[in-house]
Amino acid sequence: MKIWLRFWSGVKFMSNLDTRKIFQGRPVLPGSLEGEVLVTSVGFNAYACFYNSLHADAQRAECADSGNRDLSGKCLNGKIICLSNTTGSTSAGAVWQRIAKLGLAPKAMLFSQTIDSLAAAGLIIADLWAEERIVTIDRLGDEFLKTVTSGDCISILEDGTVIIK
Amino acid sequence: MVNLDQLNIQLSREEKEILRGAQGQVLQKVMETVVLYGEALCAERLMDITGPGHLVIPWSIPGISPPIDMLEELVDAGLQTKFPFTLDPRPPLDFENLNLEPAVETEILEMHSTQDHYDEMMGQLGLRDQAAYTCNPYLPEIGNIPSRDSILAWSESACVIYANSVLGARTNRNGAIMDLLLNIVGKTPLADLLTDNGRRADWLIEINVNELPNPQLLGSVIGTNIQTGVPFLAGLDRFLSADLNEGTRDYLQEMGAMIATYSAVSLFHVENITPEAADMGRDLLSSDYKKCVIDTHKLELVMNSFPNLWDDPSAKPQKCYLGCPHLSLKQIYWWADRIETELTSQGRDHLAVETVLCAAPQVLQKFQIDRKTYQQMLEVGVRFSPTCSETIFETRLCTGKPIITNSNKLRAYTSARFFRDEDLVEILVRGEIYE
Repeated sequence: MKIWLRFWSGVKFMSNLDTRKIFQGRPVLPGSLEGEVLVTSVGFNAYACFYNSLHADAQRAECADSGNRDLSGKCLNGKIICLSNTTGSTSAGAVWQRIAKLGLAPKAMLFSQTIDSLAAAGLIIADLWAEERIVTIDRLGDEFLKTVTSGDCISILEDGTVIIK
Repeated sequence: MVNLDQLNIQLSREEKEILRGAQGQVLQKVMETVVLYGEALCAERLMDITGPGHLVIPWSIPGISPPIDMLEELVDAGLQTKFPFTLDPRPPLDFENLNLEPAVETEILEMHSTQDHYDEMMGQLGLRDQAAYTCNPYLPEIGNIPSRDSILAWSESACVIYANSVLGARTNRNGAIMDLLLNIVGKTPLADLLTDNGRRADWLIEINVNELPNPQLLGSVIGTNIQTGVPFLAGLDRFLSADLNEGTRDYLQEMGAMIATYSAVSLFHVENITPEAADMGRDLLSSDYKKCVIDTHKLELVMNSFPNLWDDPSAKPQKCYLGCPHLSLKQIYWWADRIETELTSQGRDHLAVETVLCAAPQVLQKFQIDRKTYQQMLEVGVRFSPTCSETIFETRLCTGKPIITNSNKLRAYTSARFFRDEDLVEILVRGEIYE
């Protein structure tokens, strides 16, 4: 039996007899996929994180932001990053396009808040001008970020539904 | 193509036609990018940009700048920005001014191997002129000074916060590349700082000090403490002129650049000084504003928290960069005067630390007209450059070197050590740091 609880506008949380938890966000760049999660409670700075991975022969995107205690040293490519928002930098528009073109981008970016202008710019430009989609969902709510932990496996659906398995 | 039926943003007939490709495929793609951006920001609609842009993309470094093939696509389609734009400072290719090690020069040349082609395309896309490169474009010598309430699409964080706060113009903090695309279509999403509601203050910052704090330090403390939102600063009107004179503008420019470096804040109000605060006073505060007090103790705590990242922490400083963001003419004269005075008081005729002052080309040109002071500065060991000192560190060959600065932004992004102006003058002359 499933019990639905509504927290606040647009955010739904479902408790199940199995341990799945479901959140509803807004699909900014929709897509359907599964993957492993990395969570950061620290502001995500795209330039600082991908600083060492922007050169043409980079093989992986190891987070270079020593100020990000949650992600520093971890491999970001192919992961699903869960965060509240990004903190910069202004060059993020170019960084996302570059990292997507190199095939080193995360699979998805899941924002608990409404996406900020720098992240929106970068991810949309990567999508349209590098033709590499990084699935992007925002407005998943604070509860989502409290619930999800690094290493979780999650599914994302086209309509912005996020299922933590 | 984007499905118009699924969008919440309201589009004009002209915008829809561009989206359908009526003005060519490339402009269609540009408009699609802009519309999706507006949709993501929950914009009600797009607004016409009413003033020149200031963009953050002057270098041709892969990963930081727009890709060459993308720029070529825009140029080949004959696209240009609605208004001529200014750009952040030129890359550090003026080696004659910088006295860099040969290995650093080689690396910089390699990093900017496509710079000439890049510059040419910037001209074709709407760069105002070949000297329009600075991170202080609203100085009178440069003249990209937006009027109050003008609608802009700027990107450089230091400039966005100044345009919003001190000039009362309206721009969001747009990312690199998006800045160019917005200025090409001449439209920007009506969201966030473009709206009256988005400009209300949600923080009251009480600055409880007995003398005017160092702007670089104060800005970084404000940014670090609040991270996001719009702060309303109380207490600075005891020290700064309410008529926004040159000194006040310079102070707010430095402070704002640091707030933007250490946070996502892109607008501040200063009680009785900045335009909206002068008009509306504390009515600008939202009903549920938060409060933060900044005192001398807090400033000193932050000052003492900066790590020493030099390879040899006790090394003597070898080089100093001043002017991040770019110095105004008044600030250059302040440094010239203080350096001269300190040299005289210590009985010396040359600086112990090689010092580079960075400023806009037009500002340096004006200073050079004062042949006497300019020559004096050159003779005591000061160099002048229109570049961005931060980009010299992009080579990473300067990381860990004993470099000092008065910029807390340069310190944040590099291994340079930060000192307050008065302390720095003494260090430049003595060549020693007394901890």
